[in-house]
Amino acid sequence: MSSSVSDRTSTGELPTVRPTDLAQARDAMRDAARAGHRVLVRGAGTAQSWGAPVEPVDVVVDTTGLDRLVAYNPADMTVAVGAGMTMADLQDRLKGQRVALDAARIPAGATVGGLLATGDGGPLRASYGTLRDLVIGITVVLADGTVARSGGHVIKNVAGYDLTKLFAGSLGSFGLVAEVVLRVHPRPEASRTLAVPCPVTAAVPVAGVVLSSPLEPVAVDWHDGRLLVRFEGTAAGAATRAEKARELLGRGEVLGGDSEEAAWSGLAALVRGEEGRTVLRAGTRPDQLAEFAELLGSLADRHGVTAALTAGVGVGVSTVALAGGTPAGHGAVLAAWRARVLAAGGSVTVHRAAEGVLESAPAWGPAPATAPLLRAIKQQLDADHRLAPGRFAPWF
Amino acid sequence: MTAIADLRETLTTVLGPAGVISDPVELRTYECDGLAGYRVVPSLVLLPTTTAEVAAVVRACHRAKVPFVARGAGTGLSGGALPVAEGVVISLQRMRALVEVDPANHRAVVQPGVTNLAISRAVASHDLYYAPDPSSQQVCTIGGNVAENSGGAHCLKYGFTTNHVLALETVLPDGSVVWLGGPSPEVAGPDLRGLMVGSEGTLGIVTGVVVRLLRKPEAVHTLLADFPSIEQAGNTVTDIIGAGIVPAAMEIMDQLAIEASEAAVGAGYTLETPAALVIELDGPADECGELFEAVQELCHRNGTTKIRVAADDAERARIWTGRKAAFAAVGRISPQYFVQDGVVPRTRLAEALGTIAAMGAEAGLRVANVFHAGDGNLHPLVLYDDARGEHERAEKLSKAIAELCVDLGGSLSGEHGIGTDKACSMPVMFGEDDLATMDRVRRAFDPDGLCNPGKVLPTPRLCGEKPGPYRPHPLEADGVIERL
Repeated sequence: MSSSVSDRTSTGELPTVRPTDLAQARDAMRDAARAGHRVLVRGAGTAQSWGAPVEPVDVVVDTTGLDRLVAYNPADMTVAVGAGMTMADLQDRLKGQRVALDAARIPAGATVGGLLATGDGGPLRASYGTLRDLVIGITVVLADGTVARSGGHVIKNVAGYDLTKLFAGSLGSFGLVAEVVLRVHPRPEASRTLAVPCPVTAAVPVAGVVLSSPLEPVAVDWHDGRLLVRFEGTAAGAATRAEKARELLGRGEVLGGDSEEAAWSGLAALVRGEEGRTVLRAGTRPDQLAEFAELLGSLADRHGVTAALTAGVGVGVSTVALAGGTPAGHGAVLAAWRARVLAAGGSVTVHRAAEGVLESAPAWGPAPATAPLLRAIKQQLDADHRLAPGRFAPWF
Repeated sequence: MTAIADLRETLTTVLGPAGVISDPVELRTYECDGLAGYRVVPSLVLLPTTTAEVAAVVRACHRAKVPFVARGAGTGLSGGALPVAEGVVISLQRMRALVEVDPANHRAVVQPGVTNLAISRAVASHDLYYAPDPSSQQVCTIGGNVAENSGGAHCLKYGFTTNHVLALETVLPDGSVVWLGGPSPEVAGPDLRGLMVGSEGTLGIVTGVVVRLLRKPEAVHTLLADFPSIEQAGNTVTDIIGAGIVPAAMEIMDQLAIEASEAAVGAGYTLETPAALVIELDGPADECGELFEAVQELCHRNGTTKIRVAADDAERARIWTGRKAAFAAVGRISPQYFVQDGVVPRTRLAEALGTIAAMGAEAGLRVANVFHAGDGNLHPLVLYDDARGEHERAEKLSKAIAELCVDLGGSLSGEHGIGTDKACSMPVMFGEDDLATMDRVRRAFDPDGLCNPGKVLPTPRLCGEKPGPYRPHPLEADGVIERL
């Protein structure tokens, strides 16, 4: 069995191993270690374009066969699954409960392990965080085949180092995530979204009115000329609070059902991006949104590129999709925008780069002050640098 | 000149004479933390006031290869801040500034010596608060909370320290200063902030914390319900979760814990009831009121004998005083006690409590129970009298209870940490490879092993075990055996 890795990784077909249990995953990694093979760990492949392109590898370890539901204890609010299970599949199996994560890649088949390894999150992150906040235990296989567990099956647990966090955002560089234990929450009875037309430059103060009220929105995102404020709870409660928010702001439309679904899936589509676009995610202080949105607009104009932005207003997480223009134009916008975000203490990650963009702008910016530490961790966990080689170059 | 004498001289220049304690009597103040059973007098105590001073101290220790232990208020109950005899203690008690309150962005920047409760007090006028609330929140510091990934009664709904910290200014064991995390939860690359939280001061010293603040809920409803048995109180909790309700807190106290608490603070708990359940719901007023009615109905269905609903903030505070005072109050009914901190899957609470009672009876010791019922975090208090030679038996029972929690699928610690106390029990919960992997990560931060040594992971000094990271057994190397 073989499969291509991704256009940005390799154009040829590569030997692929698809373990279906932990022992096979361990064997796959150990075999690769013995042979000195470089390894790309891959789930559904929905985030293979994140970060810097991986250098050619010898073998792909495909985790999608690790898709077993290991244990589901609804009364304990916990579920343990193989990391290769898709999040959509997992959500379907939960009874009256959910993993409170709505990352844009989930409908595209993103796996639980992949969502953890990317540190991805969607609008619900404002209330529930990203998968790093919902995972209570992991089993990983290191580059040398060592199987290591961290955390456990209870939601409250401080025994030992929380290695889950180290693997969140590691993009497959520290090991293979084989099994994940998550805490689940009750599925809310209903949701409503207040859509308020407003320019992005006004999104922070408009959102601030609701965020400083006791109405408890679960997500507050700006997208496509509107602020979307979502409420969840009992059927009556969600509707009442959305209406109260509308009264508080003096405008807006309360969406439910299909129109609500359409508003949020439009946002997710922008975040997922598509071929030919360059997609960036930034973390900034929330009140810097207007400044960075304006800067983005002017940079895009200057370089003949279209820039679409969506932002988690309360948490300061923005996703930008660049389209049109030239690869050099995308690169120039990326480099200049990132420089300003970094100067303000924020961060930018490349989720997708149109072909040729990374020739003019590197996927990662200047190495952070933590780079020596990241290198030391990499050295401890993957001394030969065989996992996802190049993914974080030149940081480590 | 010895390394310590040399350090004292160097650091007196950096911190001034008032920032260096070397008097043997004064040093004894720092010989233990809240776990008073372990005592080691440090060689030197340092009292820096700035990140630069902490970095200077750590750099000096790193150069001299002298171990160092960070310490906040010393309220930890697992010996996490236990000094090293030939080492220094770096007390962060003088770093108590609220650096920035940023209500617009729902965050605050604080120094590590700020107490947990001081943060909520400082932002209360903006209708904001800091959610994690350890029972010791009046005195424990945010730096210690970060080290232990502290929880508290309200973490069932709101999560732990790790869910509420955005960034950490950290002095690494070589003395370099880095920020882990950033201005938003979105940070490029692996989450080192999350790794630092709960690492018990073994990966570096946190000198600045950016915390996330929450908007105060519109409504809070609290009740205290008496039950004829712990089991019925536990079943109520199960039913509440089953109904899809996540209260802000659910706490159970048994008769012995109630007796102690009443003796100390007289919060009005029913003395003769076998179990009391505190339930608190918060959120938007309409929904919260509706769910609170449902919760009371579930209490009745499970045979509650009395429900006391807090009529106002004062009565709510009184109910919580009874719960939060329980640990200290046990001192009223026993000369000494151990506080255990194991976690079991919530659905195995009844089994755990039954076994603990039997173990207590067998050991001839009383065990009082106060616990976070929503998340299975037990706090059995093993009561003993040193004068009657019960110390060793009590210690053994306490350890056995922690390990029982692991057997039941839980954890050695829910919020107090492993520290010195439970390091030797870590192999009960984790395999050799798991511990070796944690050790690899530790070495990446601290290759010289100077930063709070002897804590969290089992060491030969503590447990008489074989030192060092995982090395394959010769038979394993030959492919005869394998491990998973």
